[in-house]
Amino acid sequence: MSYLFASALLFALGVYGVLTRRTAILVFLSIELMLNAANLSLIGFARAHGLEGQVAALMVIAIAAAEVAVGLGLIVAIFRHRESTAVDDLSELRG
Amino acid sequence: MSPWEALALLLLLATGLLVVTLRNAIHAALALIANFLVLAGVYVALDARFLGFIQIIVYAGAIVVLFLFVIMLLFAAQGEVGFDPLVRSKPLAALLSLGVAGVLLSGLLGLKLAFSQDLQGGLPQALGPLLYGDWLLVLLAVGFLLMAATVVAVALVQPSRPLDALRPEERKEEVLR
Repeated sequence: MSYLFASALLFALGVYGVLTRRTAILVFLSIELMLNAANLSLIGFARAHGLEGQVAALMVIAIAAAEVAVGLGLIVAIFRHRESTAVDDLSELRG
Repeated sequence: MSPWEALALLLLLATGLLVVTLRNAIHAALALIANFLVLAGVYVALDARFLGFIQIIVYAGAIVVLFLFVIMLLFAAQGEVGFDPLVRSKPLAALLSLGVAGVLLSGLLGLKLAFSQDLQGGLPQALGPLLYGDWLLVLLAVGFLLMAATVVAVALVQPSRPLDALRPEERKEEVLR
């Protein structure tokens, strides 16, 4: 049970990071933290409800890998275009 | 709660705090690796051995290394750039995230869970039949998603070459297009 509480606190830390960080890549790091908090609670609940939770956590890891590939590609492309990835500079979508 | 459990949770939260507060981007990524390693230990302790090792291989080994590559390529490790448009936004953000934590914890407090499932140690022998049984469609979808993500990542970082950098025969094609 204590792991579930730790997972909630880790998720809140990730929220704090997303709200305070000003560089896109550090926002991304905080998002990874939140994904892992969700994984920890999935695995914690798997002990009460069966192995499906662990399979779901495996899928979350695979999807996170895809997300990181696309996200970092976007960050590199934006950096080439704008010479910056500070999220406050990127508030408009047009080039 | 056993002392080992308390130590693991303390390390988990401490490294998580480092990830969101360190000013140097490389240090933050290294703290994230430490967080993932502790998390892998926690997974093994929670009867999810396969996932523990996957966590080390995929997260600490591949994903964070990708992060480190991009940080070193682009940022020269400067984490905090730009100005703060909202003055004193950090206490506000801390308050908001404490609120999120409060909501999640209040949801957990009412739960009555019986931790009595036999997970067979969370070994691949136990996960395999599920993965290729009930979850087969999800597995295929995730495989397709990974392939699409690879194609997108390669396509996104293709440099757009200016017209005069092309070879003559290529240029004719470009102009015709």
